[in-house]
Amino acid sequence: MTRSQRTAAFIASRLASVMLTIAGATLLLFLMVRLVPGDFTSVMLGPRATPVLRAQITHDMGLDRSMVEQLWLFASRAATGNFGEDVVSHRPILDIVLDVVPNTLALAFSALALAMVVGIPIGVIAALKPGSWLDSGLALLSISFITTPTLVVSVILFLIFAIGLHWLPVAGAGNPGDIADRLQHLVLPSVALALGWVGYISRLVRAALLDTLAELHVRTLRAYGVSEYRIVGLYALKLALVPVVSILGIGLGDLIGSSVVVEIIFARPGIGSLIFNSIAQRNYPVVQACIVFIVAFYIVANLVVDMINAGLDPRIAAGRG
Amino acid sequence: MAISLRNLSVNYSLQQGTAHALRGVSLDIEKGQMHGLVGESGSGKSTVAFALMGLLANNANVTSGTATIEGKSFDLTKRNATADLRGRGMAMIFQDPMLSLNPVFTIGTQLCEVLRRRTPGSDRKTQGAMAEDALAKVRLSNPGRRMNQYPHELSGGMRQRVVIAMALLSEPALLIADEPTTALDVTVEAQIMREIIGLRDRIGCAVLLITHSLGLVTEYCDAISVLYAGEKLESGTVRQVQRQPGHPYTRMLFDCEVPIDRERHADASQNRFTVIAGDLPDPRRRPPGCIFNARCDVSFEDCAVVSPGDYPVRNDDSHSARCLRLATP
Repeated sequence: MTRSQRTAAFIASRLASVMLTIAGATLLLFLMVRLVPGDFTSVMLGPRATPVLRAQITHDMGLDRSMVEQLWLFASRAATGNFGEDVVSHRPILDIVLDVVPNTLALAFSALALAMVVGIPIGVIAALKPGSWLDSGLALLSISFITTPTLVVSVILFLIFAIGLHWLPVAGAGNPGDIADRLQHLVLPSVALALGWVGYISRLVRAALLDTLAELHVRTLRAYGVSEYRIVGLYALKLALVPVVSILGIGLGDLIGSSVVVEIIFARPGIGSLIFNSIAQRNYPVVQACIVFIVAFYIVANLVVDMINAGLDPRIAAGRG
Repeated sequence: MAISLRNLSVNYSLQQGTAHALRGVSLDIEKGQMHGLVGESGSGKSTVAFALMGLLANNANVTSGTATIEGKSFDLTKRNATADLRGRGMAMIFQDPMLSLNPVFTIGTQLCEVLRRRTPGSDRKTQGAMAEDALAKVRLSNPGRRMNQYPHELSGGMRQRVVIAMALLSEPALLIADEPTTALDVTVEAQIMREIIGLRDRIGCAVLLITHSLGLVTEYCDAISVLYAGEKLESGTVRQVQRQPGHPYTRMLFDCEVPIDRERHADASQNRFTVIAGDLPDPRRRPPGCIFNARCDVSFEDCAVVSPGDYPVRNDDSHSARCLRLATP
């Protein structure tokens, strides 16, 4: 097989496993939601609902059918992108979710990009002179970033830059269509979300770099007079990024989790605040649809991570990694 | 004299104390010649190489030593004294070709990196052509295709050829080959040695071949130095040393070589191999007198007390050994 054929086979096998994972996660999710105590109608309609209304809602939501039938309906409809209609707003649930998804994606990716742009150089600088005062100082900084909860960072940033200094907008996601306004609204939430990741990424990069620098091929480069900056910043870094990217993929779930907090504090419409509000309203069908989306996002993101790693390390694409 | 190394001493600071890795080692390598440095594991062979390159581990401390390369002297006690020579005046081939190339960059990129330093200012296309030419010169098949391949797509012998091509591109005055064939199949050994000799003849450099194999030395080298527990016990031309070893250790080393055509017993456990009884002395507590005294079969009283100097063997200037038996009374 040529290299491009191998790469294609690699991506195809990954895609197949992605489909299986989404199906499995959806099934698990469906069963977990049914495990929640109490029935949907009484939570949603309150204690004084008439039995007729109750029966009506139960029938509308399909709760009078058998579990197997419900699962089949949910799965077959979800597979075609049909998550039903929201009982509260009478809008298609898919539309509700898709409306807020771009906001969350913008937040997550800008935070991740910010964290990498700041975190990777910090890790490289720390690894250049391990044990130096600069290394120790950066370690202290990184660890304090990691240990400060996103909640605290969000509130502090919010109080200083939005309320105190009036530099940046207080709440919302900005006017649709006004890019500059939307970007301004994005700054504080993404900094809040990124800060912990800056610490994480810099520590990961430093550790992976120091491991790589102890490998024998680094000695070869040194023996041929390649400058230490090129060795650390190019030859060792590319190899060191492989484990870093893998761990980032796993951590993406945490990123979405933290975005719930950030979206609520900055009153941004997004998947996080949608889940929060839907749980408060006991609107389980919406929660279910949101979580299917998050699972799909997480899995697709990890597929992207695998492809990035296959691009970084040719041995992974060749199946020898 | 193309390359000379004078009075090299290296210590390693360990948790349990200071280990003396090398003590007063001197070497002379003629231009265009191959000098074999032999010794057991732990005798300090590789430390000589890495001290010359300035690539010793952080806990190593060069206490004395001067290298003269192409007329210029370098004080090896200074960290990075020879940094300027790496990839220009000196090049190195390593023991394990499977690990000595970066797995995530193509062969071509790694070869061109050497050229970045050797021919600064040349454009990528010229560098690529030079690198491909070097691969062809070390007789790697399909050099054009190899340029875009990654190390894991090549065998150990092929990777070692790539490292030899790197050395070729850097056109050094001194090439250090640290056990270049130890990790390879015997069938590839001769080919790799042939390429190293080809490289030497092409650019006329001096070669320091570090090996534990006397067979390689007698077959390919012009001169030999024998290292034991960080001390050079004997040096001379291969012919002189092979014909009349001046030091008992050298004689015993030659005796340990198993001739391939030796008759064997019907019961393999009855085969008798020559071994040198005992172990290397503890590098943290060097014994007084001759360093080899404890394992020597011809030692006498003085050996335990008097530290031998470097005496000429058979009144030959180019052949000397550190053995009291050679001291003229």
